Formats: sequence, structure tokens, C-alpha cells
Amino acid sequence: MTAVQSRPRRHGMRATLLVLPAIIPVAIVVIGGIGTTVVQSLGLMPLVGTPALSVDAFESTDNLLGSALLSLGIAVVSTAIAAVVGFFTAVLIISGNWGGRIVGALSAAAVTVPHLVGAASVGLLLSDSGVLARILGIPPESWPALVAGPTWFAVIAEYAWKESAFVALIIVGTLATRITSYDETAAMLGASRGARLRLVLFPLAAPSLLVASAIAFAYTLGSYEVAWLLGKTYPEPLSVMALRLFNSASLTARPEAAAVAVITLLLTAAIVGVAMLGLRRMRAWQ
Amino acid sequence: MQIWLPFRRAASPTTARRRILPALATAAVTALALSACSAPTNTPSGPEFFDWADVQIAADGQTVKLWMWGGDDQGNAYVDDVLAPAAAAQGVTLERVPIADTKDALNRVFTELQAGRNTDGAVDLVWINGDNFRTGKQADAWFCEWTDLLPNMTLVSDSDPLLTEDFGTPVDGCEAPWHKAQFSFVYNEATVPNPPTTIEGILDWAEDNPGRFTYPAAPDFTGSAFLREVLYSVSGGYENVPSVYSDDAFAELSPALYERLDQLAPSLWREGTTYPATSEQLTKLFADGEIDMMMTYGPATLTALVENGTLPDTTRVLTVDDGTLGNASFFGIPSNSGNIAGAMVVANEALSVEQQVAKADPAVWGQFTVLDLDALSADDRALFDALPQSPVVPTFDILSQNANPELSAEWVPALDDGWRTTIAAR
Repeated sequence: MTAVQSRPRRHGMRATLLVLPAIIPVAIVVIGGIGTTVVQSLGLMPLVGTPALSVDAFESTDNLLGSALLSLGIAVVSTAIAAVVGFFTAVLIISGNWGGRIVGALSAAAVTVPHLVGAASVGLLLSDSGVLARILGIPPESWPALVAGPTWFAVIAEYAWKESAFVALIIVGTLATRITSYDETAAMLGASRGARLRLVLFPLAAPSLLVASAIAFAYTLGSYEVAWLLGKTYPEPLSVMALRLFNSASLTARPEAAAVAVITLLLTAAIVGVAMLGLRRMRAWQ
Repeated sequence: MQIWLPFRRAASPTTARRRILPALATAAVTALALSACSAPTNTPSGPEFFDWADVQIAADGQTVKLWMWGGDDQGNAYVDDVLAPAAAAQGVTLERVPIADTKDALNRVFTELQAGRNTDGAVDLVWINGDNFRTGKQADAWFCEWTDLLPNMTLVSDSDPLLTEDFGTPVDGCEAPWHKAQFSFVYNEATVPNPPTTIEGILDWAEDNPGRFTYPAAPDFTGSAFLREVLYSVSGGYENVPSVYSDDAFAELSPALYERLDQLAPSLWREGTTYPATSEQLTKLFADGEIDMMMTYGPATLTALVENGTLPDTTRVLTVDDGTLGNASFFGIPSNSGNIAGAMVVANEALSVEQQVAKADPAVWGQFTVLDLDALSADDRALFDALPQSPVVPTFDILSQNANPELSAEWVPALDDGWRTTIAAR
């Protein structure tokens, strides 16, 4: 720790210069995209007519609060499930036995599946006359409304499944190199399995668990295709609303779409900001 | 091992603050730089051609990217295997760009125009109609007054209202016709032995058979058309709905529509708590036997779906006495296309008798022709008469009896939004 702080400042400059080729394109795309969205949402980039600063787009969108709460609800629940499942999956993978290897391979495979394909698969599996209903021999009318139902079950299941694999792999990546010595030392000193999980594995995994969950949360809040394919018609999550407005035939809807996107962005930034603050307070991160 | 508490106070937050300032500055500068190229200020008019030979010379060697909805395998195969070779014979390479929604193409053009990319856009030709066409026209995104140059436009009637106006928006030579479509209700003969014969009858039938009927959620193209069908029905016929949109007409006529749909909702699939998001999802419900009646604006595809087993053999198109909506779809050329001449050659080729006959064959695509059959030569007419009949879809003459004209495009978003706030939110 002290060695890092006493390094000459020059060193930091060189590191910054080395990452610039990566940062500049990202900055142009991300900041440029966000900048354009903000400018559009404020009515400064209309498709027709003269640009004029206004917040009409933020006010004229219906049921914004309902959509925001729904988006947050889906993201919180699916991220929480993904975090818990992902953590225990990682523990299983790290255990190194053959079951762990199979789970590891399955998780790696799940991460490569695009969300759109995942959503289509979950839809085919869980819908009223889907594969599962047919295998179990349950007629569509008595099958619960998992897809497009009031509980958003299929949407949450898809996100939780995909993101838990992502969370697990991130945790495995950070733990794999250093867990064995800590874990064995604790075992030598007489720590039980439960105590090792609570006192060794979890604290070491916590920073990457938090970072992976924050990424999963931000993704879930921002992505639209899963909720659009598997969700209910009304109310709609923010991302679905933004896309519907953006694709709307009326030219005035574009600023409204941008406004919804800006609100989604602020929500995401707030949650990720809180997560990053939490990360700084973690011992294992220092 | 003092690391069991995951949280503790951070050491030094000041370094973070020092890093945020330059980031904010960069953000501000980038946003400013981007906003400098705001709304489209100039309207690119495109090249000028004096006659068709002029166009052909300019088109030679051009590659035309046709952006079209990619969800119809037959349509994709027709363009790739029939239309593209014919275009290639005239020196134009035709590349199909499949899109999930026609609005994607329109949005691409808008974004390019916003960014000042005025002469070499990524979209050369779009399969389009209705509100998308109107929106593009409002934003001056189309190349116009080019269809008169096409030699094959002489085969098209210049007084056919379906082709001179597109959902009430004058075509003005900004798009060339491609095919006609007729909104159709589809039922399963095995489960609906005595199908209703009017729109109101269909709604009554749905109420008598709870859970066996639904429609796609607006703004889906098909769901949106269904709203207009019901609007005509509850208004006592299309004659009573002014084609031109006005807030007064909407306020007067739309309550009856929403009242009827609200009354219908509890009898729909899933008690109307949710609706299929797309017409494909509606078709899937019908294919799975969850509903007994559905609707489509593209009856052309039904024959193939029955033949390949997706839909039951007992699938039939329902003709209703009050008639259904008819429309035509077109080829539009964005004003910022770099291959306008090539796009014109493709649009002209698509209007030829050979292409229209091939496209009308149910085994190829089954799309209804836009050509004026009465004005064709006897030989050409015979080609159309010799087309095989579909066991599922009646001929266009029967299907388009009492055809209802489409409302002007302004009606569409108004009805869709109203549906969303009153019916979807109920």
C-alpha cells in the first residue's frame, strides 16, 4: 500500500498515456452518445423545426414513474438472484471437483449466449404452450402466466440465469489465484466449512461480487429486448418505453425517447455510484 | 486474518474528486462538439435525370442496399433469388438488408441526416408505406418526383387511389408501388364451424368464446390496423370516419372504439391483461391452438405457412361483409442515398410483368400485384390468370370486395396512444 503511494507521479502519467488509445474511442462513443441524447432530450436537436431549449419531453411522457419503478424492480430482483446464485456457483466451481468443472463449463457457455437468443429460448421454454408445458402435459389454459404475466417471471428468470453465470465467472477469475492458500490455512487452523465460506471466501469475493452485480444491474436496467419479448404490454420498463418512443412514427416522440433514456441513465449512474462507494470501503479492495 | 468485515471507511476520497473534473470537462466539450451538428438544415435534392437512358447509364455498376423487414422467408427468398438476378442483368447489384422493423431504416436515415451525411447514406431503397412514409416525407427524407421516369409505371393505373395516396399522404412521385395487401381475418375451420361475417360479429364471437381471440398490442402494424377496423365498425362504416385527421373527429369517434374494446378485453386471451407484442407472436398463439382466430395484413404468407405445417390445414381466410382495410406498399429512396439511379432501376424492374407475376405466385411469395390488369396486353393478362390458386387465401378480387380505404397516417399514432393509455392500462 505505502509503496503505491510513494511512487513518483511521472509513473502515473505514463500509465495514463498507455491507456489513452483505449480510453479515447470509448470516451467519444460513450460521452458523445450521452451528450447527443441529453441535447436531444432538451429539444436542441429536433428532426423538424427550430431547436429550442425545453424540458417538455420530460413532462409529456405518460406513466414515467410506474415504468421507472417497474424497471428498478426487475433489475433489483434479477440482480439479487444473480448475485446469490452466482456466488454459490463460483464456490462450487472453485471447489475443483468434477461437478464444479461441469458447472464451470455450463457457466462459460451461458455467458456466450446473446440475451436475445436467451430471451427467445426462455420464451419457447416457459410460454403457455412452450416446451416445459408440453413435457409436463399441462394444457395452455392451466399453465401459469410465466411469459408476459403480471409477475414478469420469464424476464427476471432470463436476466437472473444469464447474469448469474457472468457473476460466477468474474468471482472465479478473482478467487482462483489466491483462494487455495487462504482456504487451506484456515482449514489447518481448524475452521469449519461454514466458517471458511463466511470468513474467507465471502470477504475475498465481495469486491468482485459487488462489481459484477453493478455491471449486471446496469445492463438489466438498460437492455430492452428481453423485457420486450417476454414482458407484459403495460406498464412497460423504461428501456422498452424509450425504444417504442424512438421508433414512433411521430417526429415529436424522439426527444421523449431521449428523455426516458436520460432518466434511465441517471438511475443507473446513481446505483453504480453507490456500488462504487461501497467498493472503496471494502477491506479486500484496499 | 482481519479481513472478515467487507466494509470499512475509505482512505482518501480526494483523489477521486481530482479525477472527476477532467472527465466532466471532456464530457462537456464532446457534447458541445456534437450538438454543433444539430437539426438537418439543408435538404439534399439528389441528382437530376433527363430521361430513363440517363438513369440506366448512372446506375450501371451501382450497388443498391434494399432495407426491408426480414421476418418473411418467402419475401427474402424472392428478393435474393428472383429480383436480384434481374437487377444484376441490368448492371445493378442488389443487396438485401434485413431489418426487424421498417422504422429502423427510417431512423437510420434520420440519424444520418442529423449528422450531415447527405450524399452517401447506408440506405438506398426501403420497402415502406403508411406512417413511416409520411414521417419521412415530413422530414424531407425522400428523394421525390422520380417515379414518372420509370418505364414500367405505364403498367400502373394513375387513378388507383391505393397507389396515388399512401394512408392519405399524397405519393407525389416519392415512392414507387410494389404490391397490394388486404387486411384479413383468419380462422380455424375445425374449431370455428360457423364463422361470423362482420367485424361486430367477430367481436361478439370472441365474447361468446372467452380466451380464444386476441390482437397484437399497438403500435404493432397489425394491431394498429385492427384498431382502425374496429373504429370503422363501431362508427357504422368507413364512410362515417373522416380520412383526414382532426382532434375533433378523434374526440368524437374514438370513445366508442375504446368502450367496445374495453368491453371486449375480459373475453380475450389472458383476460386482456396482456397482448401479443408482435403479429408473429399472434401467429404463434394461433399455430399452437391457443386462439381460434387471428388477423394479418399479409395474407400472402398464409399459404406457405399451411403448407409447411406451421398452421393447421383447416386455416381459412374470413371474408367479412363490411370489407377490410386495403393498402399498397412501395419502394422509397432516401434523399441521401448515393445510388439513386441504381435504386430506380431496381424499382422499375420490380414493376415489370415478369416480376409481378413471379411475386404473385403463392409458391414464391403470393403478393398481390399493383399492375392495372385491365390495361395489360392479353398475353400478359393470361400470365396472371394462369397463376395457381391458394387453398387458403381467396383471390384478390374476392378478398378486396368492399375494401375500406386506409385512414390518413395522422390517425395511426393517435389511435395507438389512446389504446395504450385506455385499454392496455386498464
